[in-house]
Amino acid sequence: MTERTSHFTLPNMTRRQFGISAMAAAAAGAILPRSAFGADQLVVANWGGNSVTAFEQAFAEPWSKLNAGKLVVDGGGPSEGAVKTQVESGAVRWDVCDGEMYSSYRLGKDNLVEKLDYNIIDKTLVGFGDVHDYGVANYVYSYVIAFDASKFGGDPPKSWADFWDVKKYPGKRSLYKWMSANLEIALLADGVKPTELYPLNLDRALAKIAELKPHILTHWETGVESQLLLRDGEITMGQVWNTGAELVKKQTSGQVDYTFDQAVVSPSVWFVPKNNPAGRDAAMRFIRMAQDPAVQAKLMEVNGMGPVNPAANALLSPELQKISPSAPDNFNRSVLMDNKWYAENYGQALDKYTALISG
Amino acid sequence: MATRDASWLGFSLALPLPTLLVLAYLLPLAGVLAWSMSTPGGIGFGNYRQIATDPLVVSILLRTLRICVAVTLISVAIAYFLAYHLRFGSPWKKRVVLIGVLIPFWLSSLIRAFAWLMILRANGLANTFLQSTGMIAEPLALARNELGVMIGMTHFLVPYAVLPIFSSLQHIDNRLIQASRSLGAGFWRGFKDILAPLSSSGVLAATIIVFIFSLGFFVTPAVLGGGRVVMVAEYIYLQMFQLSNWGLGAALSGILMVVVVALMLALIKIVGIRRLMDTAS
Repeated sequence: MTERTSHFTLPNMTRRQFGISAMAAAAAGAILPRSAFGADQLVVANWGGNSVTAFEQAFAEPWSKLNAGKLVVDGGGPSEGAVKTQVESGAVRWDVCDGEMYSSYRLGKDNLVEKLDYNIIDKTLVGFGDVHDYGVANYVYSYVIAFDASKFGGDPPKSWADFWDVKKYPGKRSLYKWMSANLEIALLADGVKPTELYPLNLDRALAKIAELKPHILTHWETGVESQLLLRDGEITMGQVWNTGAELVKKQTSGQVDYTFDQAVVSPSVWFVPKNNPAGRDAAMRFIRMAQDPAVQAKLMEVNGMGPVNPAANALLSPELQKISPSAPDNFNRSVLMDNKWYAENYGQALDKYTALISG
Repeated sequence: MATRDASWLGFSLALPLPTLLVLAYLLPLAGVLAWSMSTPGGIGFGNYRQIATDPLVVSILLRTLRICVAVTLISVAIAYFLAYHLRFGSPWKKRVVLIGVLIPFWLSSLIRAFAWLMILRANGLANTFLQSTGMIAEPLALARNELGVMIGMTHFLVPYAVLPIFSSLQHIDNRLIQASRSLGAGFWRGFKDILAPLSSSGVLAATIIVFIFSLGFFVTPAVLGGGRVVMVAEYIYLQMFQLSNWGLGAALSGILMVVVVALMLALIKIVGIRRLMDTAS
């Protein structure tokens, strides 16, 4: 068994870079027909930035061994709107999308994505996250508490209740701009047991967020932004992605630290747009390949994306196991997000949430 | 006969452009407007009713309007001041103003927004300076709120207002000003009776151009608003791409477009198309 060692650099995973580059990319993506590219290739869409190179590093080689076809990674951002645009206009460019889990449920309901073939994809390899007709978890990332260790190092925060406690831990806070995980951490801070989170009590969560509002400096949008806030000392505590937290920790030589205590683990998902150009079968075989423990470990190694195949964690170096959101030591302290709730309540909840933070 | 042939030739030579516009612009636009009446769930005015009644949508529209009106007025006032110096200032002054107006044109709005954030944030340049001079004790909240958005937007829009105003000032005959001076008019009298009326079309053009531009602002509010200042362009994006709620997104886009077209028509009516073209060139 070869052990993965870390050259874990710059995992600025950026999901849903709201409007800045994603919109331009999505708009361009909607216009360019797929025929501009060759036929003998598979296009995998993700959210751009470093995850494009990460996907190339992790998937291109094993895929070429399997298929001899070319793998193209497109960072255009497979939002629901972008997928809907492609499928409804008949100009589908993406074969496999690395999307939001709740999107996979919603797109499935609207008949915009292919049904997954579990004769090819192996359900039993998915240890964490959702497995359903239209989507299967591909990797996980966590929302963690990152904090200024020079201020709170003696008695570091260990829970979202501590995150909300601005008397004991004074200073500004920052939350992720989108609702994901914000509702969960608010309820955890309010004393809801992790096992009793779902179905989420939306009003209670929003009331708790309202309580923190005067102390929230900003709602960050991109991974880089969250890292800058911590590094420049603009906030003393932030709810950030584990990948970003690890990066700032390294850059500041530990002056910014983070914990996996009460981390909210969010599974990302593979889904396949209806009538994808390379064909459903090729897409299924790609998803199966990406379940391979060595491929999963590679993705963790190059971009901090936590394996969903538990066997992959065993392949990681001790150093990487410490920062993998799905490694047993970290996962056991975390809460797994239930995206089915979001799939059913997203629109209405997002409106209420937007009204709260912009009010 | 010959003239008829020539006009037919001219017409057919001009045909590709309108054809392209119809196919690539008007037809898709009609499609988008059709969504606003048809999705979700059948034909109707549901999306427009929601825009009129949903408190969140109404508050976003009102915020957009408030910010855009304020930014427009401030931008045009600053632009008039700059254009005045660009027209009547010493050569040295003209050069400084021109460089100051033109350089921002070459910077992307994203870079400008982040630069303003560096200046305006709590431990940024402005607050550090004010605190070090003892003028303030606590940092002022200059960014990550509506004020920050307005500063960023104004900086972006001032150059667009300077050019039409400058152009209208440029057309004013110097002899009129000399005549008023010789008749004993001071600066304000000259401004009131000569500059203001003769530059009013430029000011109006600048106001409408800047206001139309400001309605679509997207990146600046997202960066300088701290995620809190949601304006209509961002909300449309949210409906289109995050929620794939195309009906509401299309209805809001339609309303924005009607506002813009109405303003353009008003502009043409008040200023006159010929003078508008003169001002623009």
